[in-house]
Amino acid sequence: MAKRSVLGLFKDADSAANGVDALKGLGISPMDYDILTGMPYPDGAFGEPHTQHKLFVFPLVGAICGLAVAILVTAGTQLSYPMVTGGKPILSVPAMAIISYEATLLGAILFTVLGIIFESRLPRMQLGLYDPRITEGYIGLAVSCDERLLGTTEEALKGAGAEEVKHN
Amino acid sequence: MHTPSGNSHQGTVPSTPQEVVRHGLERMTSAGPLFRGTVIVLGALFALGIVGFIIRASQGFDDRLPWGYYAAVFGYFLTTAQSAPMVAIALRAVKAGWRRPVARVAEMWTVVGVLNLLWFLPIMALVPTIEGRRSLWVTRPIGAPHAWDLLVVLFLAVCGLGLLYTSALPDLAAVREKGSGFRQRFARTLSSFWRGTRLQWNVLYGGIALLGTFYAMLLVFGHALLSTDVAMSMVPGWKDAIFPAFHALSGLQSAVAVVIVTLFVLRTWGGYKEQIHVDQFWGLSKLLLAFSLLWFYFWFSGFITFWYGRAPTEQVLLRYLYFESYRLPFLMAFFLNFVAPIFLVLLWNPFRKSILGPTLAAAFILVGTLFDRIRIYVAAFSAGDPFADALEHVPAAHLPGVPDILIVVGGLAGAVLMYMLAVRLIPVMAWWELKEGLLLRRVRPFLRRHMTVVAKPD
Amino acid sequence: MQERVELSHRQINQELLAANLKGPRWWWLLVPALVLVVMGAASAAGYMYNRGLGVTGLNRPIFWGIFIVNFVFWIGISHAGVMLSAILRLSHAEWRRPATRAAELLTVFSLMTAAMFPGIIHPGRPWRIYWTFPFDFSRGIWPDVRSALIWDPSAIFTYLTGSTLFVIIALIPDMAVLRDRTTGVKHVIYRFLSLGWRGTPRQWKLQIVAGILLSALLLPVFVSVHSIVSWDFGMAVSVEGWHATIFAPYFVIGAVLSGVAAVVTMMALMRWAFHWEHYIRPEHFDALGRLLIAIALGWFFFFSLEFMFGLYSLEGPEVSLRQMQMFQMPWGALFITFITTAFFIPITLWQFKRVRRNILLMFLISILVNIGMWLERFLIVVPGLMRKQPLTFVWGGYTPSPVEITLVVASFIFVALMVLLFAKVFPLIPLFDIKEGQVLKDEVQVGRVRVPAVMREE
Repeated sequence: MAKRSVLGLFKDADSAANGVDALKGLGISPMDYDILTGMPYPDGAFGEPHTQHKLFVFPLVGAICGLAVAILVTAGTQLSYPMVTGGKPILSVPAMAIISYEATLLGAILFTVLGIIFESRLPRMQLGLYDPRITEGYIGLAVSCDERLLGTTEEALKGAGAEEVKHN
Repeated sequence: MHTPSGNSHQGTVPSTPQEVVRHGLERMTSAGPLFRGTVIVLGALFALGIVGFIIRASQGFDDRLPWGYYAAVFGYFLTTAQSAPMVAIALRAVKAGWRRPVARVAEMWTVVGVLNLLWFLPIMALVPTIEGRRSLWVTRPIGAPHAWDLLVVLFLAVCGLGLLYTSALPDLAAVREKGSGFRQRFARTLSSFWRGTRLQWNVLYGGIALLGTFYAMLLVFGHALLSTDVAMSMVPGWKDAIFPAFHALSGLQSAVAVVIVTLFVLRTWGGYKEQIHVDQFWGLSKLLLAFSLLWFYFWFSGFITFWYGRAPTEQVLLRYLYFESYRLPFLMAFFLNFVAPIFLVLLWNPFRKSILGPTLAAAFILVGTLFDRIRIYVAAFSAGDPFADALEHVPAAHLPGVPDILIVVGGLAGAVLMYMLAVRLIPVMAWWELKEGLLLRRVRPFLRRHMTVVAKPD
Repeated sequence: MQERVELSHRQINQELLAANLKGPRWWWLLVPALVLVVMGAASAAGYMYNRGLGVTGLNRPIFWGIFIVNFVFWIGISHAGVMLSAILRLSHAEWRRPATRAAELLTVFSLMTAAMFPGIIHPGRPWRIYWTFPFDFSRGIWPDVRSALIWDPSAIFTYLTGSTLFVIIALIPDMAVLRDRTTGVKHVIYRFLSLGWRGTPRQWKLQIVAGILLSALLLPVFVSVHSIVSWDFGMAVSVEGWHATIFAPYFVIGAVLSGVAAVVTMMALMRWAFHWEHYIRPEHFDALGRLLIAIALGWFFFFSLEFMFGLYSLEGPEVSLRQMQMFQMPWGALFITFITTAFFIPITLWQFKRVRRNILLMFLISILVNIGMWLERFLIVVPGLMRKQPLTFVWGGYTPSPVEITLVVASFIFVALMVLLFAKVFPLIPLFDIKEGQVLKDEVQVGRVRVPAVMREE
């Protein structure tokens, strides 16, 4: 059965939460609907399941990569050009530590940013069913449902207080 | 979880003002065998410490070398117990809601200021005159450094007690009304004038803020002055501008550690499970993480400047303080103040947001700080002639004898004993702050979940 | 007192995006004028490249003049952004909302400006700046990682990359707002920049976590950057006044002082220029004023340590340097101006709530602080090099040339220009943060009083 997208637009957060309740009542899985808002609402405010993510792994991997590259570069450059300066040893650990520290954090930051984009499921080429009013305070409920449930879903959203319901 | 009145259970139960006082009084008055046993053991250890002191004193004050460990305990009290009120002062200043069960626990440690004042008196006889040697007292005022240092230690103790008294006043009034026996008499004597009028509350708020500010300034100044006069200036050639700041920073780190360990003890064995929650440990663990990172930063900033400069005087100092004579205490401090708390505990979210994790990290830090103060003060007392320009060779480390061990253990036991006795007289929870928290915190429904609502009056 | 204004999302969009969608008329007059000034300065730089560094006032023994002073100054300003934004995010301070992006932008643009000084203006042969990176394998010559001048670019590169990404990530939701309010080419550009943002709970959750995580990662970088800049000086043993272990935290806290003061300057200008009275309110200046009191006191502590330890050892050359800095003209006059404008006048005025809530006064004081902090850097760099060491054979003075003055003045214009260009394309206040603040604000009834409160996820 073909999947169809439905977007219900709610003027206030209470009716949007009612909309989510209505979708649950229809037995629609949380995987099949998304709440679109113009600002962050607290986790689970609409009764949706809490978001799970693995963002914290990214900085850890980035930090390890950054540290490894830094040790390689700082040790490598000193050994490749072994000139004693200022009476310090060829492999000067305190000096290496400073550059390694920066590189570790740079790696962590770069990987975090990649992680944020990846975990946010961005970039997204097509917006899909969307309405610019969402960034003006409206709340959108984007539902993906079987074609046979299209009418029921639209009715449920309207019943919950949606100001407008559209589908593709 | 919320009560019918809508008040959060997080850190502020019992949920009515009356219950707060009733529960608090109950905890103050009930002393089980564990409490009594601990007091007896600590008392015995303290007595042994006094024996150790008498042995040392009988050998006289001419040679300062044997007194290094004694001085280290002074530095340790300054860094831990006397710095602990900073936690209450800072958290009140930023109006952190989760501070309420923490503040009094922290400021109660000011009672150790009295012990440290007494502890400092013999040290005055051991610190040499500043004539002919490096000193912060550039203009050489009369009495420097002894009289001025003593004044700082005295002011710190008095200001700390003043802060504790001011903050405890409404709670002492509650003990006056609801308590009994010697506790009630004690509370009546100290709080007879307190009626809780608007004016009195305004004065109380202002007084706590003012005394807190004074205490903070005195403490930082005290760290700078005392660590220089009693430690750094006695090591020839040791000119290290970051050292006083490092000493103070280490104080802030240890302050948080002391408070965490105290909270853990009170929660586990003191009957305060209902008041002290993971919120308090979580909030403090973030501070502990920040201060532990700063500990390394301050240490490294000093180290890299000496290491890079390659000046002979500074190289000898590095060998003396870090890499040869006092290598063991340094490595212990480095591991316990920086490596272990951060990499084993605080870096990891699940550990940081727990009760056991921060307590473990705090325990590491308290032990590490003891090693670090031993490294600093014993090294200062065993560096030889403080009137020399520089260290020409690396002096040997001074190892502790039996009297030193008795002094260290007895001193620490004495400090804990003072705290334990103080909580029998003064409520260890700030009841009035807990009651205020009940008024200003709610749990309310928000769409399909509950949210905590925190009010912050001006 | 929190002045709260009820704002609809539509109104927030209209008011905060007015500069992007319509653009004030003054913008079209001011920006070309600033572009002309910057082009003029670029010509001066071109002249310097053509003739060499001889057209500057630099000569033996002073090879670091106001270019390096300005470099340190702008690095300092760049510290406002991340420090303010990160600490306020981590501590959930409500008043952060209109301040964070302005602060972060200041970081990015002032860091870019700072990097230009040692990068393309001061070296004389800027086309060889890539020698600082391990690049160009055919030469077989590698940068010496033991040099503080190599640590510097690595820190600045990390900080610039991190803070730019920090700003970009937080801009994505606002790009979506602009995407939804524009048509034609603008719409295509904003659609591309918003990466297909829809505002799902997952995307918002990640946005919030990102803010906290990146803040936590950038804080240690921010501390390291100015520390490493300080080590450009501190590692030099032979220059009087530079080889001090305190330099790293002293530079960092000084940077924070000047940076937060610069945020005050920028917020006042934003309020006046864009009529954002609903968003940037006296309460924000009050909070910044309180924060500045704490920072200024911290700075003074480190300044005192730096100064006192200059005199600590009573070594002739060091004492002479301090005497010159304080009592010899023109240094003495500059010293008095520095200490009064950077500390004594501001700290006195900030004590008064009426001053902290007066935007014009706060603006003027913030300018004063930065005049003082610029002079502070000047007094560290130049007098130290003038005295150098007893056997120095050239005891030259230093007067900046017109080319140097032009480039330094133009650096201020350049930062203003970059902010204005940014303001035309992107919102200067994060819209979603303001909207969130509107939804999460609440009140708690206490007796007859309604106390302002905020909802929190706890």
